[in-house]
Amino acid sequence: MTLFKQIALIISIFLLVILMTVLTLNFMSANQAVQERLYSDAKNTATSLSLSLGTVNGDIAIMSTMINANFDSGNYLGISLVDTEDAIIYERKSETKSIDVPDWFLNIAKITAPVASANVSAGWSQVGILHVQSDTSYAYTQLYTIFKDLLVSFSLLALIGLSILSLLLAAVLKPLKRVQEQAEAVARNEFILQSSENIPHTKEFRDVVLGMNAMVKKVQAMFNKGNEELKRQKELEYIDPTTKLKNRKYLIDKLPEYLKIDASSKGGINMLIALGGVIQANEKIGHTAVDALFVDIANIFQAHASNYENFIVSRINATEFSILLPECSGEDALELAEGIFDAVNLSILACGLDIHETFLSIGLYEYNYEQTIAQLFTFSDNALSKAKLEKSHIHLEKANDTTEVMGKNAWREIINEALLTNRFHFVSWKAVDTKKRKIAHKVLSLILQTNKGKTYSYGQFMGPANQIGLSTSIYANVMHMMFKTPNIKLKNSLCSIRLSLEYLDSHETYKDLSQLLKEYAAKLPFRLIIEIPDKLARKNSELLKLYKILFEKYNIDTGIYEFIGESGDYQYLQELRPAYIKGETSYFLTQNSQTLSALRLITDTLGISLIATSVMDTNTLRELQMKDIHIIQGKATEMIELS
Amino acid sequence: MKKINSAKILFIVSMFFFSFVHADSPYVDKELLNAIEKKYTPFAKKRFFYLQNTLESVKNESDIKKLDAVNTFFNEVKYGTDMQVYSQKDYWATPWEFLSKDIGDCEDYVISKYFALRYLGIDSKKMFFTYVRSTKFTEPHMVLTYFATPRCEPIILDNTNRKIFPASKRTDLIPIYNFNAELISETSKATKKEKSHKKWDELLLNMKKKKI
Repeated sequence: MTLFKQIALIISIFLLVILMTVLTLNFMSANQAVQERLYSDAKNTATSLSLSLGTVNGDIAIMSTMINANFDSGNYLGISLVDTEDAIIYERKSETKSIDVPDWFLNIAKITAPVASANVSAGWSQVGILHVQSDTSYAYTQLYTIFKDLLVSFSLLALIGLSILSLLLAAVLKPLKRVQEQAEAVARNEFILQSSENIPHTKEFRDVVLGMNAMVKKVQAMFNKGNEELKRQKELEYIDPTTKLKNRKYLIDKLPEYLKIDASSKGGINMLIALGGVIQANEKIGHTAVDALFVDIANIFQAHASNYENFIVSRINATEFSILLPECSGEDALELAEGIFDAVNLSILACGLDIHETFLSIGLYEYNYEQTIAQLFTFSDNALSKAKLEKSHIHLEKANDTTEVMGKNAWREIINEALLTNRFHFVSWKAVDTKKRKIAHKVLSLILQTNKGKTYSYGQFMGPANQIGLSTSIYANVMHMMFKTPNIKLKNSLCSIRLSLEYLDSHETYKDLSQLLKEYAAKLPFRLIIEIPDKLARKNSELLKLYKILFEKYNIDTGIYEFIGESGDYQYLQELRPAYIKGETSYFLTQNSQTLSALRLITDTLGISLIATSVMDTNTLRELQMKDIHIIQGKATEMIELS
Repeated sequence: MKKINSAKILFIVSMFFFSFVHADSPYVDKELLNAIEKKYTPFAKKRFFYLQNTLESVKNESDIKKLDAVNTFFNEVKYGTDMQVYSQKDYWATPWEFLSKDIGDCEDYVISKYFALRYLGIDSKKMFFTYVRSTKFTEPHMVLTYFATPRCEPIILDNTNRKIFPASKRTDLIPIYNFNAELISETSKATKKEKSHKKWDELLLNMKKKKI
């Protein structure tokens, strides 16, 4: 219960008790006043009637008539005249009559009409005593009316009092609301600082806000320190200091994104370029001029590669470079290589060097997404070796034709059929927290089951689906399936689903997901984490911000996958605040301790977990644990005994 | 009149009456006598000694002798209207005010006589405060009437006549209305109301405050 509710409840109870007490006292006072009025009336009647009776010299008949006249004309319960020995001379009593008030009121009011008495004389002789008792029925009616008026007045008073109380409390506790919002933000690892004009005037609240502001500033400073450190480490880790090109490590860390089953490109060309005669060049023109030449060559590479989306130009070692060109054909690559060769020759000549002594060799390798990094490097090396032997210094090495089980048309037919008849199904595996020996969450993946009973894994159908442009349709289809017909077996568990860049980076997808979540998110029986590729996350686009708001609205967490820490600024992690970051095992294992510490500083500040994917054996797991990475995915999870 | 707790009043009145019927106690206690001396004069205090002596002298006598002694003692007090003494049109003085000031009107005589006779053990049911009209003067008048039995002829204790007489001898007086303090007390007790007789209630309150 909030403090506002607690205070409001206590004060409301207190107010109501006071009002009820005042109401009761008022009612009792009114009751007493009514009874006193009854007595006063009876006393007045007794006195005046006894005076009248005293004038008739003890004539019983006249006295009876006078008593009758008084009784009939007034409201009396009884009038009686008793003699000096208490014997009744004459008496009139009211017949029982109904009173127009509820029975419960008769029970609580309990009006007793007092009996007033007066001596009656006849000259100096005593006749007796006159007793008069007023009728209570009118008193009950009067008291009931007073009671109703009191009740209405006090109800109105209570209503007005409680309304004013609510407004006052809201005004007094308004700063507390901001304090609460700030505290909740801190709990969500958000850094909200209360501005000076928002510092509450109430001392206790002000101290809390100032304290939290100081804490938030410290956490923010830690984050900034981590961010700066990671950026600096990134420079050291991934950038060649001379040419400012990416280095070999970057290429290796980045390649998994290109060599995967659901890669956005099916393949392309990797150029491995070696500059020969560098030693001679150094001797001729010196290191400085050669470095300048390398910078020129790097610029030439960048300029030529820039026509291709998602290209990577990197310096592999002192004399070798790589240009990765997705979606580039062999013919185009040859043309490009020739252009590079000629342009670099001009630069070499401009430096005063001999192009027969200092020259490029360009090995072109036609890779595809199914290959491993090692295969790509081996075949690229082969191509370069052959290029060095060729006169043109350029050699294109075609990839071994992968034997396709099915053609594109067959896949298109199967996938379209599956989309129409909902043939996609979820399978799940575990992400395990090896420290706690518990399942961190379940990772949802897809299988395709044809109507002929054949099952294709995600790895089998997603590659072809990408190439025939149906992957977005598959994601849309399975998201609808997940929300509309959720798997009850996953009830109360935490599940993640990885969505591709192509699917997410579309306003149509956002609209579709918005509608889907609006209708079905509340009914989802398990807690969902939607994994976003780091490439999309670090763009920190308006669309991503919309996704963040949308997912938060429906209590869906976000995760980041394919993280290799290549961003120039990690502020986007603070903006997105994902539950975790998933990176390839190789990425984590190849980071130096400073880089990992800086990353840890950022993620710990924001409460983000680090998860290593594709952990295949216990040795790798141990290496990861040495680097303080404890949550893993991959075959190794099967080897961990869960608690 | 200020509202006071009825139970307290009844208790005080009861204690007050108890003090009157308890013949071993003085009619006026020492503390009150000192207060009277302080406010008025030593003569005022002395009048209460004389009263005590008078009461002591008849305490074992018949009712008639008690009536006569009390009537005679108080009829020595000078007559004065309420307007003259208290600057009020109608005021019922306590017995202490009446004898301390040594002046009062007809109600003051009746009240003082009533409480003195109560002190002497006369049954309060036998004594009535009677409003009468005198054929000798036009002002409203009050006398104390004593009924030996409810049906017998009452004896009149009047400040305008030094002696006590049966009612039949007082042809100058025409009875108008009477009330019995005992009946008022009984009514108060039964109804738990202190408002039974305006002037009587006021008097009892003043006596409770020991107004002198």
